[in-house]
Amino acid sequence: MESLSDTRWDVVISGTGLRHSLLALALSRSNKKILHVDENDYYGGPEAAFSLQEVDEWVEELGKAPTSTLFRNASIWKSEEETSTDSPTLSFSRAYTLTLSPQIIYTKSKLLSRLVSSKVYRQLEFQAVGNWWIYNAEEAVLKRLPNGREDIFQDKNIDNRAKRNLMKFLKFVVDYENQTDVWEAQSESGLDIFLSSKFNFPAHLQIVITALTLSLAPPSETSVKWALPRIARHLTSIGLFGPGFGAVVPKWGGGAEISQVACRAGAVGGGVYVLGTGIENVKVVEAEDTESPAFHLALSNGEAVGTKLYVHEATDKDNGGITTVSKAISIISSSVPSLFRSTVEGSPLAAVSVVVFPPMSLQIADGIQSDPVYIMVHSSETGECPAGQSVLYSTTKSSSLSKIVLQAALESLMNRVPNQGKLLYTLYYEQTAPSGSPLDLSFDDQLLEQVEAQWREVMAEKANEESFMQFEERKGMEAEEEDDNDY
Amino acid sequence: MAEATAPKPSSSVKLVLLGEAAVGKSSLVLRFVNNDFQENKEPTIGAAFLTQKCNLPTRTIKFEIWDTAGQERFASLAPMYYRNAQSALVVYDLTKPTSLVKAKHWVAELQRQASPGIVIALVGNKLDLTNESASSSNNLGDDSEGDATEGEADDGDARKVSTAEAKSYAEEEGLLFFETSAKNGTNVSEVFTAIANAIPETSLKGARGPGATQAASRTEDQSRVNLTGPRDSAAKDTCAC
Ligand SMILES: Nc1nc2c(ncn2[C@@H]2O[C@H](COP(=O)(O)OP(=O)(O)OP(=O)(O)O)[C@@H](O)[C@H]2O)c(=O)[nH]1
Ligand SMILES: [Mg+2]
Repeated sequence: MESLSDTRWDVVISGTGLRHSLLALALSRSNKKILHVDENDYYGGPEAAFSLQEVDEWVEELGKAPTSTLFRNASIWKSEEETSTDSPTLSFSRAYTLTLSPQIIYTKSKLLSRLVSSKVYRQLEFQAVGNWWIYNAEEAVLKRLPNGREDIFQDKNIDNRAKRNLMKFLKFVVDYENQTDVWEAQSESGLDIFLSSKFNFPAHLQIVITALTLSLAPPSETSVKWALPRIARHLTSIGLFGPGFGAVVPKWGGGAEISQVACRAGAVGGGVYVLGTGIENVKVVEAEDTESPAFHLALSNGEAVGTKLYVHEATDKDNGGITTVSKAISIISSSVPSLFRSTVEGSPLAAVSVVVFPPMSLQIADGIQSDPVYIMVHSSETGECPAGQSVLYSTTKSSSLSKIVLQAALESLMNRVPNQGKLLYTLYYEQTAPSGSPLDLSFDDQLLEQVEAQWREVMAEKANEESFMQFEERKGMEAEEEDDNDY
Repeated sequence: MAEATAPKPSSSVKLVLLGEAAVGKSSLVLRFVNNDFQENKEPTIGAAFLTQKCNLPTRTIKFEIWDTAGQERFASLAPMYYRNAQSALVVYDLTKPTSLVKAKHWVAELQRQASPGIVIALVGNKLDLTNESASSSNNLGDDSEGDATEGEADDGDARKVSTAEAKSYAEEEGLLFFETSAKNGTNVSEVFTAIANAIPETSLKGARGPGATQAASRTEDQSRVNLTGPRDSAAKDTCAC
């Protein structure tokens, strides 16, 4: 058998997380000799998706190597087996696909246009993020966030003066790039001060607007210059691919699905994939010429390979912005239809709803909830759980209280919806951002820019002749409608 | 004829081919998709993707076929292709017993790791190298060459895996079973039709019970968002681009 060391690799990529899988996709037509390895025996790295049994194994592995990874303090809670037969229970392990990457993707994101131009979108199925809800602590209810201008006009909860201010703000924010005079002086200040001083927003509206940014910090710590493009993105994304939604998620496991589809394209392009194999040692060598390897890599399977380029996942921790979040993935025995009910005619059936618990909206026993909690509710339409159940992805900034805060948010959500069902399962963990890619609840196009930069490095001067992720239809696909031999 | 009548419901079914190197996976696909055969087909590098429609009386199934490389160095590929696949074709070469061992290994891995409702077909290929090539395995009463005894025969019968052995294994594991020849076409379309028929109708409509969650087909259901707008879906149905 031909061994890996017999080949002179052009590129060795380590890790099959979203970023490196997209790089493999970008290089899939380059005719480069590509070796793509992952130390895990599954695809997706930090964006993987798991069955319940695979979660068990993942948690166990994390327990063994707590320092070497971006995840820690993982634990699982399962509801007690009940004796009564009609009480809801967990289904079998593979009936679930719990994803470590439930990010929503705004319809404006370049990721979507790249998935289309690279033709792999055909193997993906996208679903809409429908309603956004915000928890109102005074009235103890979930309120649906207005979905565009018409919605605001019709909203009886907003008085006319507030409506006028809100409309003024919306008009400004979609054009913020041209109206620097309005905000540049305050670009570093908190969104709350900006909204109250410039637009007369009362506190609850400041909170609503901050929620649209998916900021993990309270409004006072959410900077204007960071927030404005995100609010603009939110508003201008609505309606782009259909009425009533501005963001999508891939079915069958979010980012994990994209990374696998991207790796498949890499394999179709001739890339060699090896799971369960990491890079143990890297030796940079003086290359004699451009054709000889510049890196000697020792693989954990004992083989040694030479390659011109070596791309590896950053595992060093970031030191700016929000670096650690606490997350909970919960399964509940209800499809919570009220959260998904559409108010917009012609909109697709939403598979995801966003629920926001603003700072200090939750009662915590020994302290205050200083940061917001976001819960992405995934219906069984996502293929992540059986019908009649839902998967809840909760996130908040890490603190000594974050586990309790997440629990309180979960309880509060379940108490606010009719027929809320029962909590069946929760996976809790903490996640630290790798350097250069801050944790974000929505897909950050910056990641795509990093991929493009790496692609340019690999392609060298050829990058000028080709466009990034712009591919023709593959032969097999082309023939699809033409040579139909129907049996 | 088909065009004249109202369009039948159509759904996509993801199918993955697994099996040892050189058993004829790509050749089976080539026969099914292009009705062609190549005597010296080069080994698959990585994987290949093809599509082909299969017309059933009440519906049309569009197979999205992932043909994987059988060489050992590509072994890590399989998981990303059988993930969410609704069907798998596990191929062995009936002139090579070790390839059946490998096939059993794949079946076990699929049963352990793949979608719970996955439909698996076990296929013994290169039936033309036996002296019973004119008969199909499902139709052994056919007028094949008289003494088609299993094991070695003096008339160039290269069969090393008996139909009975493979078939009883397939029955035990609940697999569809066929013996085929990609070379002369025997049973090839039958395999795909049988798989198409075995995909539960419920999973095609997207109305799935807990048992079929991940194996549910990717039909155009109410929740699907079209990234390319209505123009593309129209084009997909009419032209070859
Ligand atoms: N006689 C005979 N030869 C066949 C048949 N099917 C395939 N072959 C030959 O067997 C060889 C291997 O066929 P492939 O289709 O490339 O096998 P594969 O399983 O795709 O191999 P990998 O891609 O390496 O995994 C080729 O030389 C084919 O011509 C068959 O039904 N009968
Ligand atoms: Mg092949």
